[in-house]
Amino acid sequence: MTASILDGIVLGLQFGVLAAGLTLVYGLGGVLNLAYGQIAVVSGLVTLLTMEAGVPAVPAALIGLVAGGALGLIFDLTILQPVYRRHGEARVLLSLLLTLGAAFVIDGYLNWRYPLRGLNLRITGDPLVVFGVRMRMGSVVASGITIVVIGVLYWLFRYTRLGRAIRSVIQDEEGSRLVGIDPQLMMRLILVLSGVLAAIVAITRSMVAPVNVRAGFSLTVLGLIVTVVGGLGSIPGAFLAGLVLGIINSVASSYIGTFLSLIILLVAAAITIVIRPTGLLGVRE
Amino acid sequence: MALLELHEVGKAYGGLPAVDGVSLGTGGGEILALVGPNGAGKSTLLKLVVGLERPNRGRVILDGHDITGRPPHLVRRMGVAMVQQTPRSFPTMTVRENVALGALFGRDTPPDTDEALEIADEALAFVGLDDRRHDTVGALNLHQLRFLELARAIAGSPRLLLLDEVMAGLNDAELETSIDIVRAIRDRHDITVVWVEHVMKAVMGLAERVVVLDFGRILAEGSPDQVMRDPAVVEAYLGKEDLGA
Repeated sequence: MTASILDGIVLGLQFGVLAAGLTLVYGLGGVLNLAYGQIAVVSGLVTLLTMEAGVPAVPAALIGLVAGGALGLIFDLTILQPVYRRHGEARVLLSLLLTLGAAFVIDGYLNWRYPLRGLNLRITGDPLVVFGVRMRMGSVVASGITIVVIGVLYWLFRYTRLGRAIRSVIQDEEGSRLVGIDPQLMMRLILVLSGVLAAIVAITRSMVAPVNVRAGFSLTVLGLIVTVVGGLGSIPGAFLAGLVLGIINSVASSYIGTFLSLIILLVAAAITIVIRPTGLLGVRE
Repeated sequence: MALLELHEVGKAYGGLPAVDGVSLGTGGGEILALVGPNGAGKSTLLKLVVGLERPNRGRVILDGHDITGRPPHLVRRMGVAMVQQTPRSFPTMTVRENVALGALFGRDTPPDTDEALEIADEALAFVGLDDRRHDTVGALNLHQLRFLELARAIAGSPRLLLLDEVMAGLNDAELETSIDIVRAIRDRHDITVVWVEHVMKAVMGLAERVVVLDFGRILAEGSPDQVMRDPAVVEAYLGKEDLGA
C-alpha cells in the first residue's frame, strides 16, 4: 500500500505539472489547447533525435524544453490569432476546434514519419529506499525535477513582477489592462511556459516509462481530467487534483489492474464534478 | 495647455451612435464633470480615451500625441488612469499588493517591487486606507474598494485621472470624504480630473466646469451653476433623471 501511494505521489506531481500548463492557458485567455499532448510528444521526440545525433542527455533535454516553448509560441502566433478575436464561449469553441485540428495534423505526421519511436531516458542506478519502499532511480530523479519545477512556478507566480501581472490578468482582464498590463503579451509568455511544462512532463515521464509518438492524445485527456477536477484556471487546484488522481490511479492499478485505471480516473472526475461543479479549487465566474 | 483634446470623436454600436462627434479639451489640473441622462454616452467617452473602446471617427490627443485607438496599457503608461464604477480589484491579493500593481505597471519607468510597495503605502495613506493594507480585497466594502482603486490609480502617477461614477451608492458621509479625496489628489499631484457623475450634489460641490451630454452630443457647457440653469439641460433631465439623486 505504501508503495502504491508513493508511486501515486510521483505520478500525481507529474499530473499536476501537466495540468498546470493547460489550466494556465485556459485561465488567462479562455483557450483550451487540445494539441497540448502533442507538444509534449514533439518535445520528447526532439530530445530523442538530438541524443541520436550524439548530444548528451542533459543538453538534449534542454533542447527539448526549448522545442516545447517554441511550439507554444508558434501556436500563439498562428492558429490562436483568430481565436483571440473572439470572446467568451465562441473563443473556447474555436480554440477547441483549431487545436484539435493541429493535434491531428501533428499526430498524423509523427505516426507517418517516426512510427513507434519513443523517448526512453532510462536512468540506471541502485534503487533508493524511501519510507521503507524501494524506488527506482528514474522515479526519484523525475520526482526531484518535478518538485523543483513546482517550486519555481510557485516562486514565479507569488513573488515576481511577471507572476503578479499574470495573476491579475487571470483574475480580471479589463482591470489588468487599466493597471497598465498587456494581456496579449502575457498570453504569449504563458503559451511558451505551457509548452515548456509539456516538454518537462514528456522528459520526466520518459525516465519512468517510454513516451512514444502516439501518447499525445492520452496526455491531453489526462491533463484535461486533472484540470477539470482541480477547477479550470486554478493552479493550486491542478496540483491538488494531480496528487489525488495520481494516488487513486496508482492504488487502483495495483489492486484492480492497469487496464481499468483510466476508467477509474474518469469516474473519480465525474464524481468530483457532480459534487463540486467548479472543481476542487475552482471559482465560479 | 490642453492635456487632453478630443476632436469630433464618435462611436456607434450597430448603427446607433453612443458618442456622436464630441470635441472638448481639458488640462492644467482642472476638475471637469461629465453629466447627462443614462445612455448619454458619458462612460463610452471615457472608454474611448483610455482605449477600452476604439472610436469610429475623430481623434484623441494626449499632450500633443495622437493616442486614438491605442491599447489601454500603453495609454496607462502615458499617464492616463481610470477608475470604473464596478471595482476591478484583484481578489486573491492584499490591498497593498493591488495598489502596488498600479506602481509596477502603470508608470513609464517601472520601480522595483520594494519601491512599488512603498509607493503603495503612501497612496493608501493618502486615501486613508493604510490600516487595511494587509487585508484581502474581499474584506473591504464598496466605499473602501473605490478608495483602493483611487489609490491604485495615483500609484501609477497619472497626469489625467478619469473617474466613472465612483460616487454612486455612497452615503452622505462617504460622499463628503470622496469629494475631499478627489480634490486632494488634484491639489497635491496637479492631476487633471475628468469625472462622470450622476450624483448632482457631488458635481455641484467639486466640479469647476461641467459638460452636459445628451444622445452622445454636448448639450451645454459651463460652470456648475450656469449649466444647471440652462433650459435645455433642465429639459433633458426632467422626467428622466432625479436631479437630487
